[in-house]
Amino acid sequence: MLEHIKDWIERLRAGSTGGPDREHLPTPKTAGDQRLSDCRLIVLDLETTGLNAAKDNVIAIGAVAIKNNAISMGDQFDLILRRPELDISETVLIHGIGPEALTRGHETEDALLHLLEWMNGDPILAFHSAFDRRFLEKALKHILGYTQPHTWIDVAEMLPAFFPDAKTGGHGLDNWADYFDLEVSARHHAAADAMATAELTLAVLNKARKNGVTTLRDLNGKLKYYRQLKNMHRHG
Amino acid sequence: MTAAPQDSERPQNTRAIMTFLREHSPFSNMDDTHLAHFAEHASLRFYADGDVVLSPEDGPVKRFYIVKQGRIRGERERDRDGETETTFEISQGECFPLAALIGERSTRTLHRAAGDTFCLSIEHDTFVMLFSQSDPFRDFCLRGVSSLLDQVNQRIQTGAMASMGSSNSLDTPLERYAIRNPIVCSPDLPVRKAVARMHENSVGSIVITDDERHPTGIFTLRDLRTMVAEEKGPLDTPIGQVMTKNPCCLTAQADAFEAAMLMAEHHFAHICVVDEEHRLIGMVSERDLFSLQRVDLVHLARTIGTASHLRTLVSLRKDVSRLVDAMLAHGADSGQVVKIITTLNDVTVRRVLELNIKKNDPGIPFTWLTFGSEGRQEQTLLTDQDNGILFETPEGMNEDQVREKLLPFAETVNKELAECGFTLCKGNIMASNPKLCLSGREWDDWFVRFIDASTPQNLVYSSIFLDMRAVFGPMEPLDALLDKVLTRIRKNALFQKMLAGNAITRKPPLTMFRNFRYAPDGKKNTLDLKRQGLAPFVEAVRVFALANGVGAANTLERMQQLSQKGVFDAKDANAWQEAYSLIQAIRMRAHQEMLDRGEPLSNYISPDDLNPLDRRILRESFRQAQRLQQKLEVTYQF
Repeated sequence: MLEHIKDWIERLRAGSTGGPDREHLPTPKTAGDQRLSDCRLIVLDLETTGLNAAKDNVIAIGAVAIKNNAISMGDQFDLILRRPELDISETVLIHGIGPEALTRGHETEDALLHLLEWMNGDPILAFHSAFDRRFLEKALKHILGYTQPHTWIDVAEMLPAFFPDAKTGGHGLDNWADYFDLEVSARHHAAADAMATAELTLAVLNKARKNGVTTLRDLNGKLKYYRQLKNMHRHG
Repeated sequence: MTAAPQDSERPQNTRAIMTFLREHSPFSNMDDTHLAHFAEHASLRFYADGDVVLSPEDGPVKRFYIVKQGRIRGERERDRDGETETTFEISQGECFPLAALIGERSTRTLHRAAGDTFCLSIEHDTFVMLFSQSDPFRDFCLRGVSSLLDQVNQRIQTGAMASMGSSNSLDTPLERYAIRNPIVCSPDLPVRKAVARMHENSVGSIVITDDERHPTGIFTLRDLRTMVAEEKGPLDTPIGQVMTKNPCCLTAQADAFEAAMLMAEHHFAHICVVDEEHRLIGMVSERDLFSLQRVDLVHLARTIGTASHLRTLVSLRKDVSRLVDAMLAHGADSGQVVKIITTLNDVTVRRVLELNIKKNDPGIPFTWLTFGSEGRQEQTLLTDQDNGILFETPEGMNEDQVREKLLPFAETVNKELAECGFTLCKGNIMASNPKLCLSGREWDDWFVRFIDASTPQNLVYSSIFLDMRAVFGPMEPLDALLDKVLTRIRKNALFQKMLAGNAITRKPPLTMFRNFRYAPDGKKNTLDLKRQGLAPFVEAVRVFALANGVGAANTLERMQQLSQKGVFDAKDANAWQEAYSLIQAIRMRAHQEMLDRGEPLSNYISPDDLNPLDRRILRESFRQAQRLQQKLEVTYQF
């Protein structure tokens, strides 16, 4: 896969107009009887210019894929988008991407096309996925006119659902990373955060297996039940 | 491969894994391209506390793991009470399971996560690629295995390790490899100062020389380790007292191949390079040689030479075949390959003898002799035992009493060698035969009778017993014996003529019209490459060698020396050496192909199966054999 991305970048550099076929973009898969142990799961993290999906934009995409309960380093996505027109002065301190890096980035359109193709319609997992989902769907719609909804799963929701007794001292990625003693190589780097999220997902999948949750449908059911339980506590 | 991307162009997560790897051995010594290859092909897995990571029931191990975070515990059931005990713990940055992976077998230990654990892993094909390309990685993996060898007595596969340089590099003169101006000192220098000098120059060895710069000893870091560990003396001991005396030396004209063979034979890691006056001019280490060569000959030889059980020796024989396979695949010269086989065979024979002496020392000093192709150092994978014993009769004993002690010992050795793949000799030319377990005096008598009596049986024997070599025990008794035998043959023109007459009866397989003459006994339209192709050379050359006092047993070496003595014209000698090597090469390739197909090895090939070039080469080689036989006919006036 990495070779594939390299090839693609080479082609971009060479000025070729080839690339993903816009007419045949993958159709998202729905959560059914796919077995968690062998279906491919995308774990994604975005860096953005701010928190407001209405006016802020995506500047970096990092993602890894999980298959057979393993994160395969040959199957990952790590791109900074080229958006020189964006004002990033507010967030540059957090994610460390300066204007210079942005101009070196990739054409957003190409990057998104390639991301869609690479994701291949597989379910997308993210930490606080609602945030990433809003930004990504907005970008896909505005730039590519792509509106098909992917299956999204929130890792921040899965973790307490499967580890209800964990004392994490908070609900953030850092709290859970600390709980599992993870070393995050470069916090607030999209790819590194995606990696940390994926590592947490491996722990969840391990626990799910032991709890008899074997398919995507089972997982969705479990999360739905967890949500209801939480609401009951809240209202009760 | 495309140009290596700069670190900054690699994905963040790949870089992060490389950074993690760099903090641990052996990755800290590996090239960035190899690290990147590892990182890009790695997978990360999670194991909760108590999860099984690897189990003996999983079948042959397919992955190489490194603990990224957490711990792995090895568990084995104790034989006596069936209780589970922890045999080892693997923590962050450590790798597993080396022995099982290299041995391509299942693990013998249950690997279980102790605490939540993440492991990076690579699949077998990536492992093999790195193993063959990265020296630090391979060294690391094999060292891990060797230290486990005694415990688990497992086999080593060299299939993966035998990625070799081209055969040409083995021909490279040593001066190309040797470090000039090696670090030297005089024998009176205290060890402390010598080690300081090694440290300053970051080298692992120092050569001790006399006033004329002749090397008298060598001292390596390994010696230092032994000295400290075994408390052999204080660090101000003069180095002359603790050095290894008479270090191995070769001249600068010797080639890398010779150095490799010498190292493989003696398990040395360093060789001094000297000029004609035996003055030190350089130093060559196993590392120098093999970082370029990627031959794991030395390692294989060392593993064989230190094997602690017969079982290990038996299983290592497969690796010899693999090494040969790889060498042939890389176009190595057949002369080199047969020598390597012989060297590895010698190491095996020696180890079988050593292990038996350890178990059951007959208490009699003896020299283990080999005859025939093993004596000529021309063994291929298809080989049977031709051996004997030359002993010294201790005072107060007679020869029969000595034999009583040695024969049961020899019988075990012959049997165990057979298990290692050296087929028992059908003609009973083996050390356990009382007629071939003799004292120096008896051997001499035996040769006298042999040379004087021209029976047909003796002529058959000539191809065996006149190509003789010692592989174990003191060399001097054999040297003395050979000296007498050679002198006797040189003086005996009749015996020479008889040998020559025998040699020319075996005609090269060409008809008058230079077509192939097929073997009379094999399958239809086949040639016997050994008897029809090689034997005419071996036998004719033997006659010339014995008649001219050439002590070497190896056919190519005999030709070389005969050329130096002016017996052979240099051009002729060259052509004959080449022809002989080419037939040998075609024969060995055929053997490897038979092995691949799982067929029993045989020396018969069908020329129709060869490509046109090989057919022409073969025909020309046979023609050279005819020319050599003609020279024999002229010399002995038939």
